[in-house]
Amino acid sequence: MTVTEVAAVPKSTGATGDERLAYRGVFQRLFIRPEIGAAIGAVAIWIFFWAVAAKFGTAGGTSSILDVAATLGIMAVAVSMLMIGGEFDLSSGSTTGAMGILTILLVKETGDLGGAGLSLWIAIPISFAVAMGIGYFNGMMVERTKLPSFIVTLGMFFVLKGAKLGFSKLIVDQIQVGRIDEGDGYEFWRKIFAAEWGRNEHQLGSRDLIYTVGIVGGVALLVLATYEMHFRRRQQRLIAGAGVFGVGVIAALAGAIVLHATDNSSGNWLGGAAIGVGVVIALYGLGRWRYEPLAHGGPARLTPAVIKPLGGASVALVLAIICATALDSESVKSLFFPFTEQGLRAVLFIGFAALAVAQLMIAANRARMISPMSKLVVSSLNAAVIAFLAFFIRSQSGVAKFRSELFTSLLFVALLIFVWAVCGLVYAERSTPDRQAERLALRLVVVGTIAAVIGLAVKLLYTTEAEIAAGLAPAKFSMRIVWFIGFAAVATWVLGRTRFGSWTFAVGGNKEAARQVGVPAGRTKTHLFMIVSGAAWLVGMLLAFRLNTIQAGTGDGLEFEYIIAAVVGGTLLTGGYGTAIGGAIGAVIMAMSFQGIPSARWNTDWRFVFLGAILLLAVIANRSIRTRAEATRRAESGLPPDHAADAAIADGTP
Amino acid sequence: MSAQHLLELENISKYYGNIIALRGVSTYVNAGEVTCVLGDNGAGKSSLIKILAGVHKQSEGTIRMNGEEVSFDSPRQALAAGIATVYQDLAMVPLMSVWRNFFLGAEPTKNLGPLKWIDKERAQSIAKSELAKMGIDIRDTEQPVGTLSGGERQSVAIARAGYFGAKVLILDEPTSALGVKQSGVVLRRVVEARNRGLAVILITHNPSHAYPVGNRFLILDRGHSMGSFAKEDIKLEELTQMMAGGAELRELQHELELAISAGSSGVR
Repeated sequence: MTVTEVAAVPKSTGATGDERLAYRGVFQRLFIRPEIGAAIGAVAIWIFFWAVAAKFGTAGGTSSILDVAATLGIMAVAVSMLMIGGEFDLSSGSTTGAMGILTILLVKETGDLGGAGLSLWIAIPISFAVAMGIGYFNGMMVERTKLPSFIVTLGMFFVLKGAKLGFSKLIVDQIQVGRIDEGDGYEFWRKIFAAEWGRNEHQLGSRDLIYTVGIVGGVALLVLATYEMHFRRRQQRLIAGAGVFGVGVIAALAGAIVLHATDNSSGNWLGGAAIGVGVVIALYGLGRWRYEPLAHGGPARLTPAVIKPLGGASVALVLAIICATALDSESVKSLFFPFTEQGLRAVLFIGFAALAVAQLMIAANRARMISPMSKLVVSSLNAAVIAFLAFFIRSQSGVAKFRSELFTSLLFVALLIFVWAVCGLVYAERSTPDRQAERLALRLVVVGTIAAVIGLAVKLLYTTEAEIAAGLAPAKFSMRIVWFIGFAAVATWVLGRTRFGSWTFAVGGNKEAARQVGVPAGRTKTHLFMIVSGAAWLVGMLLAFRLNTIQAGTGDGLEFEYIIAAVVGGTLLTGGYGTAIGGAIGAVIMAMSFQGIPSARWNTDWRFVFLGAILLLAVIANRSIRTRAEATRRAESGLPPDHAADAAIADGTP
Repeated sequence: MSAQHLLELENISKYYGNIIALRGVSTYVNAGEVTCVLGDNGAGKSSLIKILAGVHKQSEGTIRMNGEEVSFDSPRQALAAGIATVYQDLAMVPLMSVWRNFFLGAEPTKNLGPLKWIDKERAQSIAKSELAKMGIDIRDTEQPVGTLSGGERQSVAIARAGYFGAKVLILDEPTSALGVKQSGVVLRRVVEARNRGLAVILITHNPSHAYPVGNRFLILDRGHSMGSFAKEDIKLEELTQMMAGGAELRELQHELELAISAGSSGVR
């Protein structure tokens, strides 16, 4: 938001309250979400491993990532909730294994002491009740004794660790207990906790069509939503513009059909060009149709603040090209641990190229403060650099996925950036909120996201005859992924929309204030501990039905990974701030690195170094995002930025 | 006592072991009036608030509301009886949004069968209009309370207490951490709350803040009451003198004059 726009917001027009709302741009609003850092990090790490590891990003690779992410993520979501409520649970990892062992021991009939030999129909509810009891005990102890939860749950951790070993040895005389499948009702419960979807057994002829329509349609709707949120609506719509929009869409669709139908170079170019021109025409028509034109674009002026990142971008770009051409793409000879020459080349090129684009984005954002014309200049440069990188990668790389998928994606991104900048020059930005536009945009976002997710899910879950014929590695998707997504969705709803969620933030943010106004602080915290132990029970069941055998040490020590996932996802260590979905994203990031490092043929011992580095980076990034978010909001609410005490609060420092 | 007061304290004493925090304190407050409790640090102000807020119980003496004797075992009970306490540092959860803070602990809900969730739109619009009634212009009730200034935070807490049907509003040092201008904002809210028919008990150590808004002044010194005075019976200078004790008067008066002249010349 530029300075002039802030000034243009009417300070207080009285009657209609909503019009006094300071307007936050679409990107600004996105960038103050607690989990945005994690989301960007997840995309960056995905792209990184996708580029350096062959198996990464295939259906098989994705299924194994999700498999790891699911159990980690269920716990990370629950632990995020508890941490938002201001507490830790160091017994959470140990509880997962303990619940699995308990359930198996309950169904066994061995040894002198023997298990109880119960049906799973009885054993599973019993273990659930025990899990609730553990959570209740943790919560009650923390509340009654006023001791730090760190100490109370550390005690519980050792109790469970010892109990797992002790009972395992006592009853089955081993440090592992196995064969949950002996239990009565195994078939039913296996379906609930460990059913699998074999991708290769499910063919869908129209899969690629659904995938393409879903992804392209989804992206198109998201682009439309962005436009709708960004530009100011006209009083009277221009029907002619709608016609132009339609022509553009038809041209783009025709291009897509040409691209799909032909398989030679000229056909590809024709189709690609038609899509590009169609998109430009469609978005221009969209603007004519719905948005108010901008009187003048202002001067094309570059200040030192803009030139500095531009310089940085040039240097990074040159370095990227030097690295790519100087190092050998074929050599797998080890240069220094853990890099091969080929790997080093990829890492350096990606790093420098990403740095160059990031610098250009910073420059564009600063140029935007000067004038739309300046922004157009810098953004065009940015689009040109991305397009250049696309062609450069195509010319340099022998890998098919770089030559096709990456190439087209980069060209498309370059096109969108360019058109966005042009439209920014032609049409006026919105500086006041518009309820109708917001609502339409929100619907577009929802529908677009659903379309894209359906497309992606169909691509992941189904295969085609052609793929089977080409000899495809099997990929299995486990039921645990469904549990993970469901749990994350419910937790997000609970935190954001229910009284319990509100109270969770309150007891974590300022417990005494919450208690003062009548929030049952002790009960809320106890319930949070029970949610964590309930999640641990669920993970215990998922593990037991997957592995059939549980080691006595299963889960011990994983509690720190849950906490890392929560922190990477933007949850504040001191409580009162965070999201459930952030914890889920944090878990996906960790799963990606656990799977990506061996896929890239690096020594897996290094994953902990990677993990530690991610944790530190995430905490620093999240902190700066939070500070910026508070600063933005402060500026918008018209308050002076000099309340030292408030700034400290916004930092999360007490 | 002749007339029935909304809230009346009679001979309240509080002992912590052998330490006497309060001894024989009596005063009252009526609807639409402000009673100020004045005293230096250690005078027993905090103990008095905690007794009224239901955090502690008095060792001796009686509290009456509308003539009936009451006794609170927890802050919830005091709240239910209509006594809302706004603590200086514990008023709000800084990282939570304004509307969530406003409704914290009493969120309006919608439900579908057993599923219950917060009626966000309603909560936001009520919070906004209630704050507007108090003259607080919050553009976006989604903004975290931590981004508000100290005075605004106090104001939100006062508006909240009023909305949730408090009859007696206890304000604990609402101005002590604030600058002159912010203090003025909060004192204006106190007057507005009073005009809306609330009985206000204002705890402060600053007589120049208490005097303009108070109807009645209770002065505490080392746990003893130095008297409860109606406004027409006492002047600001006398108030200051009683609070400080005669020996320190001259020094304090000098400081006060400086402070007042600084305040009126617009320095913040």
